[in-house]
Amino acid sequence: MSDSAVSEVDAPAEPQSPPRPRRDLAKPVRAVAWLALLVVLLALPLYLDAAWLKAGQYMMIGAVGAIGLTLVVGQAGQLSLAHAFFLLAGGTAYSVLSGPTGDDRVVGFGLDPGLSLLGAVVVAALLGLAFAPVAGRLRGIYLGVASLALVFLGLYFGQSAEELTGGTSTGRTPAPFSLFGFPFTNDGPEISLLGVPIRQAERTWYLFLLLTVVAFVVARGAVRGRVGRSWRAVRDNEAAAAVMGVSVMRAKAGAFAVSSAYGGLAGAMTVLWFDILKPDESEFGTYGINVSIAYLAMVIIGGLGSVSGALVGALIVNGLPQVLALYSADLGWFSGTGDGALTPILVSSFVYGAAIVLVVLFEPGGLAAIGRRITRKTQEEK
Amino acid sequence: MKRTHLAAALAAVLVLSACSTKAGDAGSSGSDSSGVKTGKGVTATEVTLGVMTDKSGVFKNLGLGVTQGNELWAKDFNAAGGVCGRQVKLEEVDHGYKADTAKTLYPQIEPKVLGFVQLLGSPVVAALKQNLATDKTVAAPASWSSELLDNPYVMIVGTTYDLEIIDGLSYLQEQGLIKDGDTIGHVYIDGEYGKNGLRGSQFYAKKHNLTVKEVKITSTDSDLTNVVTGLKGAGVKAIVLTTTPAQTGSAAATNKALGLNVPVLGNNPTFDPALLKSPAAGALDKLTIVASSVPFSADLPKAKDVAAKFKAAYKETPNGGVPYGYAVGEVWGAVLKKACDNKDLTRDGIAAALKQTTSASTDNLVAALDFSKPGTPATRQVYAATPDASAEGGVKYVKPLFEAPEAKEYVAPHQK
Repeated sequence: MSDSAVSEVDAPAEPQSPPRPRRDLAKPVRAVAWLALLVVLLALPLYLDAAWLKAGQYMMIGAVGAIGLTLVVGQAGQLSLAHAFFLLAGGTAYSVLSGPTGDDRVVGFGLDPGLSLLGAVVVAALLGLAFAPVAGRLRGIYLGVASLALVFLGLYFGQSAEELTGGTSTGRTPAPFSLFGFPFTNDGPEISLLGVPIRQAERTWYLFLLLTVVAFVVARGAVRGRVGRSWRAVRDNEAAAAVMGVSVMRAKAGAFAVSSAYGGLAGAMTVLWFDILKPDESEFGTYGINVSIAYLAMVIIGGLGSVSGALVGALIVNGLPQVLALYSADLGWFSGTGDGALTPILVSSFVYGAAIVLVVLFEPGGLAAIGRRITRKTQEEK
Repeated sequence: MKRTHLAAALAAVLVLSACSTKAGDAGSSGSDSSGVKTGKGVTATEVTLGVMTDKSGVFKNLGLGVTQGNELWAKDFNAAGGVCGRQVKLEEVDHGYKADTAKTLYPQIEPKVLGFVQLLGSPVVAALKQNLATDKTVAAPASWSSELLDNPYVMIVGTTYDLEIIDGLSYLQEQGLIKDGDTIGHVYIDGEYGKNGLRGSQFYAKKHNLTVKEVKITSTDSDLTNVVTGLKGAGVKAIVLTTTPAQTGSAAATNKALGLNVPVLGNNPTFDPALLKSPAAGALDKLTIVASSVPFSADLPKAKDVAAKFKAAYKETPNGGVPYGYAVGEVWGAVLKKACDNKDLTRDGIAAALKQTTSASTDNLVAALDFSKPGTPATRQVYAATPDASAEGGVKYVKPLFEAPEAKEYVAPHQK
């Protein structure tokens, strides 16, 4: 899909650029900037109210999913619209693995929630791998349409496999998350930090932050390493990649499986965030076409293939409706009613629709390309 | 360059640590001078109730109607003196029928309210189910599935979908339109709404040895021609619908076009007066609607009063949500008064008062309600009506509020 859109990945420097005397400094500076961002994110629960934390957690779910999708779409050049399916698969796997045994309505294995989360990632990856024969043979829009079939498969599965999903009527409640016996709910030890009680909202924030950081670091590692090079080689020219000794089928299948694993993790985070796994009643819903498209929008806005761009994309697509809804409730913005009224939901869909059009028209490299240009400028000025 | 970045990062950290952190949980419970216990959502002069509605999504017309009904009630309730010397205030938010937005808005609105006079949309109610239980917040969902009743804090005003269908089938049989041993078709949206209605058909079928041809559709299907053709092939004697109004129109039109012409039974959400102006209008004569809350222009003194007040206050086209929203308010009013008598306006007090509410009257906007048995629908009564373009509100009653003997025997999923 993006054979020429992304000629560079976010490697810190390009081989062609003229040697700059202070280039060696770029790396530590970036590290410090990321560290500062992390410190801010760690401190936020001490300042933000539960509603804002909830919105932030939703953005992190989007970030994890978008990182996965940017790897397969941007790095390996395979358009995938199946992300919503893997979200459902991950959410279901987590609920089933962690669910209590002996429930006569739904199946549960009663595993440790931490283990179940890992299990959800593995299950989603295996499902992605099972799709590999298709993913390996198709390209671009053909693969996109083929992968869309998975979303409909998910819709059917969610409705019919009631023992696993709980059914569309009531859904099922996933086991609350805990790690080595430490609960991420309001139960358990009362902890407070600087006078702020660390309860469910704050605990879940730290959990999601940890998962996002791990997802980010792993993706960056993959992009910069051998795996990423093979993905890009396949994306740019399959024949040339094969000549260079890259197994095209393996690279494609691998990219799809990795992206599915990310989708599965985002799915498990989704059911934890909602406190419920409820399969969709129609093709639009928590795991429907609209979600697949939203993830694609994050990846496009962020800049195809850029891992940090995916973070920004998630911030805009998953975050904007939430932030606008919260602000409008506070300030009474967009409080019109009935037909033709401007509401937060409507405004945010306009904004992200416009963002996609503007990005595609004027900055095909996405926000990541703008970011890269700014950092380069500041470096050249010195 | 390194220094500037470092400085910026340090500055950010400093700014963050300079402001004070957020305050801990503000537990503002206590008692006022007259000995009434108060908690979240209650001040010396005000009782705040929450409205989480849809003003921008697919159910915006219904959401707006219910909200305006809530507002009209609050105005009347306050004019009549309020409760415990306090006035009722509504805190409204719009979630656009999106569960994720609702999930984020909930922690923002929850600390400000005593309970929810409206919680619209089954995906929203499902997503917030756990929160309501944790926060012990009583909420009235604009969703009538008996599956919701496992949560003691859910207050369903009216009967549930399963009971609507049981009462409706019993009415068809009483009229001689179906008999024991017949085959009937049930077209349902796969989800909380349709599946709950299907439970009703299945229960009634077992009692009367009927064969039910179940047809599952999604809420976005618009053409039911194939479905009804299939039902004709199966030789059905009646069609039961738990669908959207547009789907009802399609099913009714096909029923006529194919010459099947069997009676069609639909519950409350299947009919919208707009159908009478649609191409399907001519095919609606076989349709019977069962519901427990009245349409906007019902011929009842209280409904007429609400309608007049609505016309004076708003310009929008009204719908059945208005009297329903008003009725929910009336029930909340009864619960608030009981809680006030108990001198306990906290959330626990409201939950207790709800359980003591054995006869909430809404002046017949909804059948009389009894909330004393958690897990059990508050009423099992419905009325039956047929579409009639000449009648005000688009329907004509064919049987006033009644409760079928089968409905008495029915055990709801969470009934104890």
